[in-house]
Amino acid sequence: MNKRFALFAALALVFVLAGAAFAAYEPGTKMTVGFVYVGPVGDYGYSYAHNEGRLAVEALPWADTVYVESVPEGQEGPVIDDLIATHGCDVVITTSFGFMDGTLDAALRHTDVIFGHASGFKRAPNMFTFMADFYQVYYLNGIIAGALTKTNKVGYVGAFPIPEVKRHLNAYAMGVRAANPDAEVLVRWIYSWFDPGAAAEATEALIADGCDAFAFTEDSPTVVQKAAENGMISFGHYGSQMYTFAPDYVVSGQAVDWGSILVDFLQKVYDGEYTAQNIANIDYWWLMSQGAVYPEAAPGETINPLYVDALKAYMISDPVYGEISAYDLFNLRSSQFSAPGVTFDPFQGPISDRNGNIVVPAGMWLSSDSLITMEWAFENVVGPWPGEPE
Amino acid sequence: MSWESWLISTISRTLAYGTPLLLATLGEIYAERSGVLNLGVEGMMIVGALTGFAVAGKTGNPWLGVLAAGVVSGVFSLIHAFASVTLRANQVVSGLALTMLGLGLSGVIGRAYEGRPLMNTLDEISIPLLEKIPVLGPAIFQDQSPLVYVGIIMAILLWFVLFKTRIGISIRAVGEDPATADSLGINVSRVRYLCVMVGGVLAGIAGAYLSVAYRPSWTDGMTAGMGWIVIALTIFAFWNPISGMFGAYFFAALFVLSFRLQAWLSPELLKAMPYLLAIVVLIVVSRGTLQKRMGAPSALSLPYTRGED
Repeated sequence: MNKRFALFAALALVFVLAGAAFAAYEPGTKMTVGFVYVGPVGDYGYSYAHNEGRLAVEALPWADTVYVESVPEGQEGPVIDDLIATHGCDVVITTSFGFMDGTLDAALRHTDVIFGHASGFKRAPNMFTFMADFYQVYYLNGIIAGALTKTNKVGYVGAFPIPEVKRHLNAYAMGVRAANPDAEVLVRWIYSWFDPGAAAEATEALIADGCDAFAFTEDSPTVVQKAAENGMISFGHYGSQMYTFAPDYVVSGQAVDWGSILVDFLQKVYDGEYTAQNIANIDYWWLMSQGAVYPEAAPGETINPLYVDALKAYMISDPVYGEISAYDLFNLRSSQFSAPGVTFDPFQGPISDRNGNIVVPAGMWLSSDSLITMEWAFENVVGPWPGEPE
Repeated sequence: MSWESWLISTISRTLAYGTPLLLATLGEIYAERSGVLNLGVEGMMIVGALTGFAVAGKTGNPWLGVLAAGVVSGVFSLIHAFASVTLRANQVVSGLALTMLGLGLSGVIGRAYEGRPLMNTLDEISIPLLEKIPVLGPAIFQDQSPLVYVGIIMAILLWFVLFKTRIGISIRAVGEDPATADSLGINVSRVRYLCVMVGGVLAGIAGAYLSVAYRPSWTDGMTAGMGWIVIALTIFAFWNPISGMFGAYFFAALFVLSFRLQAWLSPELLKAMPYLLAIVVLIVVSRGTLQKRMGAPSALSLPYTRGED
């Protein structure tokens, strides 16, 4: 036992020394970027999308990448140490919210290495945060769902009742409301980021309650498949790869380009603008106008052509634009979100929650702080809402 | 939607979700009845899921996929049989190793199959005449996977074999008192090997059901912990195939209802319900005397060596 402990201590020492002897990144030289993923890159969801971002980095002539997949939250520390000691990573990117504290600890251990963490809020002189948020895209999908539902009931399968998912659900519900004031959004929670069985049965439960259009937060194409089995439409989550499972029923979806953020950041590291001393205030919160997120049914196809005619035929009376088709409203909002100076936001007042409280006063837009701590539910949302303010 | 169609769809979904639990539980009951605890169910299921998907996709015949899944998982389970019966290793460790191996191997080999839709899925069937029965007809006999009925038939068949035939007596004798069984001329090793293999075959078919029928696709880790529920269900069912069937459907009903009742009951509570129930049952049956009466095999997880008793 003692011998084994000695061996372990010696190994640990080697790692520490290797870490200490590691030199800081020299701008303009070859850069090695390491990635830590929470799921398998083949999950066709979250980690798949992040891996697409890594491939964009790999395509840079001066960058090499390595990655470790399926790392359980809480075990990122040793993985990061290994990426630095064995692969000599100059930059380490971790992509799950649960990696936040482990990444920060690693940033304090390896002060010469640059760290990036997606979806969190803790930073250090050598650690920045980044997020590509879907809420505008969910709003656009909501317009389509509201226009195409026959039952006036639109379903949403949610992973966890946390602010991020609630924000997306509310934006989706607001899109539905914009197209169809009579429609409701029914929600079911599955308490998992990945659980095909739960996603399947939650979808079936929503169908039993009369829903006929589906959006979701879960990392497998289950909801898309179950909806299609019943001849109902859905919106792909995390990129167009879910389209292949139901090409006749996926109308649009939420796609992300993590590469846009990563390439922008790493270019600045390469140019010497960002170093391991000055990124404590760097927080990328990228939306449609930066091109980080966009609606997409299939590669290069924003809306499934099978549904374009129905959307053009569906007329909405908008308070500002008068009679306008769902198709035109979708494109109008899409271009407003994408323009450099954003002229419209789903979360612009006056907005009341479903308990009648005014959550955004008239003339106000929600700040990003309010967006990332959102707990309330929009008026047309029906179903359980753990953590809802009175 | 009327309460009637709500009830029909709830029962129908319970059968659909309960079937993989049932198939794998039946297998684990046989393994444990012979005295071998196999914690490798999750691993055997996922190997079956990948095999079923790959073979069904390659050959275009979902039934070949199901068959291949049974064969491959049956062979895969021999690792545990060899370790626990022949080498007399710790069954807990060996079973856990099987789960980890299965999850890891399927993750690596399955990479080529990620994100591919399956063209020839195992289609749902309706039973003529029976589907005309009011409520029960559409709930049980309409648009179900044929494997649902395979599961029910297997439960009855395996119950009959275990309690009404000589083979069943041998299996239970080996699980109760291997030394006595041995002295009566029963080949303890062979019975245990075969029972572990039955467990492997059924877990493989359960996995294939998930990947070619329930949700036709392959995703790394797609069994998502079902194998562990099977371990609890085996105890819950007091090692009886018929109770196993009711246990699996009961658990499935709780799971399905946990989404259907969310509008009225706290989703956190509903989510915890099946697991709470499993814990309560485990506490109840862990009382030795009761356990004995309920059918727990006395020699469960104990390796057998001739002449050392």
